[in-house]
Amino acid sequence: MNGVLLTGATTPFGRALAQALVDDEGFGPILAAGIEEGAPGLPTHPRLIYRRVDLTRSRDIQGLLGGPARELGIEAVIHGAWHRKAIDAGPRIRRLNVESTRELLRLAEEHPTIRHFVLRSYADIYRIDSDEAVLLGEEHPLRLSAEMPQILRDRLEADVTACMRMGMSRLSISVLRFAEIVAPGVGSQLFDYLSSRVCFRPLGFDPMLCLLSVGDAVRATMAALRARASGIFNIPGKDILPLSRAVALARRACVPVPGPLLSPLYGLRARAMHTDFRYDMNHFRFHLSGVVDGRRAAEVLGFAPEIALDWQAISEQATVPRP
Amino acid sequence: MSHPHHRIPAPQTRIARALARALLPAEERARAARLRFHDAGHGYDTFGLHPDWVAAGLGLFHFLYEHYFRVESQGHEHLPSEGPAILVANHSGTLPFDAVMLYLDVERHTEPPRVPRPIGDRFIPLLPFASTILARVGATPGTRENLRHLLESGEMVLIFPEGTPAVGKPFSQRYRLQEWRVGHAETAIAHGVPIIPAAVIGAEEQWPQIARLPIALFGAPYLPLPLTPFPLPVRYHLRYGAPIRFDLPPEAATRPDVVRDAAAQVKAAVEALIAEGLRERKGIFQ
Repeated sequence: MNGVLLTGATTPFGRALAQALVDDEGFGPILAAGIEEGAPGLPTHPRLIYRRVDLTRSRDIQGLLGGPARELGIEAVIHGAWHRKAIDAGPRIRRLNVESTRELLRLAEEHPTIRHFVLRSYADIYRIDSDEAVLLGEEHPLRLSAEMPQILRDRLEADVTACMRMGMSRLSISVLRFAEIVAPGVGSQLFDYLSSRVCFRPLGFDPMLCLLSVGDAVRATMAALRARASGIFNIPGKDILPLSRAVALARRACVPVPGPLLSPLYGLRARAMHTDFRYDMNHFRFHLSGVVDGRRAAEVLGFAPEIALDWQAISEQATVPRP
Repeated sequence: MSHPHHRIPAPQTRIARALARALLPAEERARAARLRFHDAGHGYDTFGLHPDWVAAGLGLFHFLYEHYFRVESQGHEHLPSEGPAILVANHSGTLPFDAVMLYLDVERHTEPPRVPRPIGDRFIPLLPFASTILARVGATPGTRENLRHLLESGEMVLIFPEGTPAVGKPFSQRYRLQEWRVGHAETAIAHGVPIIPAAVIGAEEQWPQIARLPIALFGAPYLPLPLTPFPLPVRYHLRYGAPIRFDLPPEAATRPDVVRDAAAQVKAAVEALIAEGLRERKGIFQ
């Protein structure tokens, strides 16, 4: 395969993916784009070129695709740039999450060498409800509600924007709906939840979760790049376990409290400690099981999760324990 | 998975093990230890089943099965010891003890032992505590995707086509099958799996209701008001019939007339087993 353009390259997922692309000699030049100056954390390699790009600016996106992406003969785009803090909101964040996806897709369709577009999306756009299946397949109903936080609305809109182009575009578009990656710096709600010494969960409920490691997220993206298959693919993780078990593995105390108390408790925590965990985003999955079904990814991409989360590292990395 | 913390059982699991040790005789415990399940990685299956909780459940209801309801069953040879299947039975009892007794009976009469996966109503996941306990012993909400996954994993599922309304059927309606939903037949055709019809004799007299209070808590349709504080010590007679195989292509599952006919065939088989069981039993308590 010729060159690959990777957005969000300076995030932990982007860095790990850049390393995997560098390690695979089958790929040509890797054009890594991020908001930071100086390619922090990215591997140094002759095939890797870093460009600082502000994806909230349409002009920057045009410059990236019309400039270095054209010169390097980029063939595939991996769009993984997302705002990662759930408590933030506003038009600038929407421009990054939604408008940049739309603009990248539009420009990629007009690009002379780009053939494949991979969107890193999220399985938390699926509706978790007692009326719905525990297994979240690609046809599972989506979470459409006026009360959704902006971060979820943006994820859903960007995902649907990419899906709408499938079959209408000359590009092969892969939308990878990842189970939650639990790691620092990736915008993981659960990671932030586990950063407290005491984790509250709804009394009487202990739902099943499906959690993904950065390593498996990278493997799935590489599999999608190689397969060049157009479609939506759920990417499950190796860790399928109850919420209480996840808390125990992160060496936190799990305290069940009546459900109605959780929203004010975590609202107070977010305000007092500037943490990112939002109970309104997690209310349903803290009551009802939702396990990402990766059957299609296994059949079409040949991807099956192999790398479990390193709970020891999570328990240590989960910031300094807070009360 | 190499971290030693993985091997430390959760407090709930320790409670389940203690319950199984306390309530289940040693040979039954050894049998439960041989149960096969699809470990999704942390000792639980995708839907939350945990073998220690299954053993605890077997222990908790051991007394009811052996001594209170004195369950007697026939036709075990029709229960497959492996592979996907749908166990279909009549439903009743104010509280679903019939499901529990079938669950224990299948575990005792299959070799290697297996438990059927009870398919529950969709309000069950909303019930605090009950939702978690039922998930740990293998109950699953009844959606097509859940059923597909279970059957593709080679599980035996337990379906009551009469659904929750039958649990509260009036005493006068005992052993009369209520509205017979057709999802079980559709699933059997779509996945090419056999249906094992079963009759539960005894449960329909175990706990007559005097009223249904219109209190819909957590999505449950009503609050039953039974005649007695405890179920009556009726004797359960379980009968399993020969497997019904629909020799139809999976596409036939989309044809309502075919599905309706298939469901009617299953209903007739269950009715025949009920009639046979009622004819042969000597009394409600015998």
